[in-house]
Amino acid sequence: MNALARFSARPLVRAALAVSLALGALAAPLPALADETCNSPFMGKLIKGQEDFVYVWTLGIEGMGDGADKLVTIDVNPKSPRYGKVIHKLSVGRRGEAHHMGFTDDRRYLWAGGLDDSRIYIFDVYSNPAKPKLVRTLSDLPAKTGLVGPHTFYAMPGRMLVQFLSNTKDHGGVTGMAQFTNSGKLVKTVAMPTDNGGDGYGYDIGINPGRNVMLTSSFTGWNNYMMDLGKLVQDGEAMKRFGTSMVLWDLKAMTPKTVFNVPGSPLEIRWSLKEGDNWAVVATALTSKIWLVKQDAGGEWIAKDVATIGDPAKIPLPVDISITADGKGLWVNTFMDGKTRYFDLTDPENPKQTFEKETGKQVNMVSQSWDGKRVYITSSLLANWDKKGEADEQFLRLFHWDGQDLSLAFEVDFHKEQLGRAHHMKFGTKAVRAAHAPAAPARVAAADAANR
Amino acid sequence: MPRTLPPRLRAWPQRMPRTAELRRAALALLFALGASGSGAHEIQAPPADFSAPAAGSYRLDRIYRVPEGAVVDVHGKAGTLRDHTRGRATLLSLMYTQCNDEKGCPLALHTLDVVRKRLAALPQARERVRLVSLSFDPARDTPAVLRDYAGPRVRSLPAVPWRFLVPASERSLHSLLEGFEQDVSRTEDADGTVAPELSHVLKVFLIDRHGWVREIYSTSYLVPQVVINDVQTLLMEDGVRFR
Repeated sequence: MNALARFSARPLVRAALAVSLALGALAAPLPALADETCNSPFMGKLIKGQEDFVYVWTLGIEGMGDGADKLVTIDVNPKSPRYGKVIHKLSVGRRGEAHHMGFTDDRRYLWAGGLDDSRIYIFDVYSNPAKPKLVRTLSDLPAKTGLVGPHTFYAMPGRMLVQFLSNTKDHGGVTGMAQFTNSGKLVKTVAMPTDNGGDGYGYDIGINPGRNVMLTSSFTGWNNYMMDLGKLVQDGEAMKRFGTSMVLWDLKAMTPKTVFNVPGSPLEIRWSLKEGDNWAVVATALTSKIWLVKQDAGGEWIAKDVATIGDPAKIPLPVDISITADGKGLWVNTFMDGKTRYFDLTDPENPKQTFEKETGKQVNMVSQSWDGKRVYITSSLLANWDKKGEADEQFLRLFHWDGQDLSLAFEVDFHKEQLGRAHHMKFGTKAVRAAHAPAAPARVAAADAANR
Repeated sequence: MPRTLPPRLRAWPQRMPRTAELRRAALALLFALGASGSGAHEIQAPPADFSAPAAGSYRLDRIYRVPEGAVVDVHGKAGTLRDHTRGRATLLSLMYTQCNDEKGCPLALHTLDVVRKRLAALPQARERVRLVSLSFDPARDTPAVLRDYAGPRVRSLPAVPWRFLVPASERSLHSLLEGFEQDVSRTEDADGTVAPELSHVLKVFLIDRHGWVREIYSTSYLVPQVVINDVQTLLMEDGVRFR
């Protein structure tokens, strides 16, 4: 039995819990992100019918295929003869800890990042949605910004706001955000607050333009997310370095207004999309809680713990969450037990779990269609945190949701297909085509020169 | 003196389908009502339950330079976009007259109507601000069509002029769309039938007097008071004071 095969999640969980309790703080975490209902409110062209493609940002595995990170396109239209099949693979030629993606506001470009090499890849998913093209690579971001680990890619009008996880000085968790034009020109950087209760950490971004506010959450730095998880949970000092805050920002001014103490590494942020709603939820990785962020009767913004996910003592490790378009339901994936849970959010002050099912030996991302009938799940968390041996399943699975149960429609085995670790998903459509056939790649390539 | 249309423009289709004519007439009526103050309820502004940050309390970044391109105004007069984006703060809307998405060009037109009136009432702002509506549909938005669309806006409130422009050539159109990073697309149904309407993400640009784009608004954040405060913030950079 080799070292990888000896890895078992159970002692790891016990160790993590022990360290966590001993420190009176948090323990092991994880990254994730989202789907059609979690896109930026500034994004147009949401797919509210049948999606045609799912793009999967996939971590390369040494010795598997070319071993490089790649954007994998899967045909998911049931009317297609290629339904459930991989129809395109676009390798970026290196391994850099592929993680999350985000569309520009016009859905023409898909930005994808590497948490290790801090590269950002800009894919054209517009000219031919079935065959994305790499049109630009931003490879000098640490030198330009002092930031490491581009994580969340969030559309703003004509720009992309990118939340980083770490920094070049100590590779710890103190970090910031950077704003770019849609073609990749750096506009500015913004530091995460380290005063008034701020820990300086970052993770996800969620904007509510109707209230002129932005929420951010907090995870951990490069030193931790690139460490082997088994080693990490044995390192008491490292385990102290996880985020415990959420920040409410003045969106227009891009300045912090309020820092909330949210222990346990709050990760994915989802604002309710229902018109008139004015709240967001977030799941904490280490403490296994759902928190609600809302305005109280006096108009003050507050954050409160409103529900528990599984048994926190077993550290199920909530990762990605996905809110329904009507704001009345929330899917929650828990990595360690491989479960997908559904919470009734009819009363956001009191979410109730109404369903759970083991959908894999390890599950991370969960993305639902706008109508909530299709739920896509992938398996990878981080290369050094994924389970070992037989538990290291790597897949994209589509489940149909009838309100009572999740039924498997198809699976793409990323090991069998020699692809790698399946991480973040975004939907694609072939229903939109350029009216004037702009020379997008040339424009992207010329962006810096034109703005010097 | 107005010039004749450039050859490329003359070569483009000048005839509109009947349905488009009807829609344009309906929209023109709607805008006329909106411009006159009645019927403004037809266009719903994005929900905004907050007080816009005070002018000058924040900084507007230099995002990118306004692209260059040859344009024609409603009188057929040729020029460049530079002629219409320097020397004053400029609010520029990329649009097309056939747009019937109430959260698209009609919303921009309505919002700019509101913003213009308020800016014209500010002695420190008027004479320092202009508005530009730039069509990305020159095949249908001829100068004459734009003139009809603009209505009295071309001549009213001269202290805050409003120019309606169209690219003078296909090359200019592409250059401007790329420079503003503006998407324009068409949608197709499951049978592959392409819809005649253009699809785009609504964008309005705030440009400083030196030709830098300093803010970009889309539907969710096109709030009149935010726009006005941004204009004031720009003018305050030049020493203009607002009470």
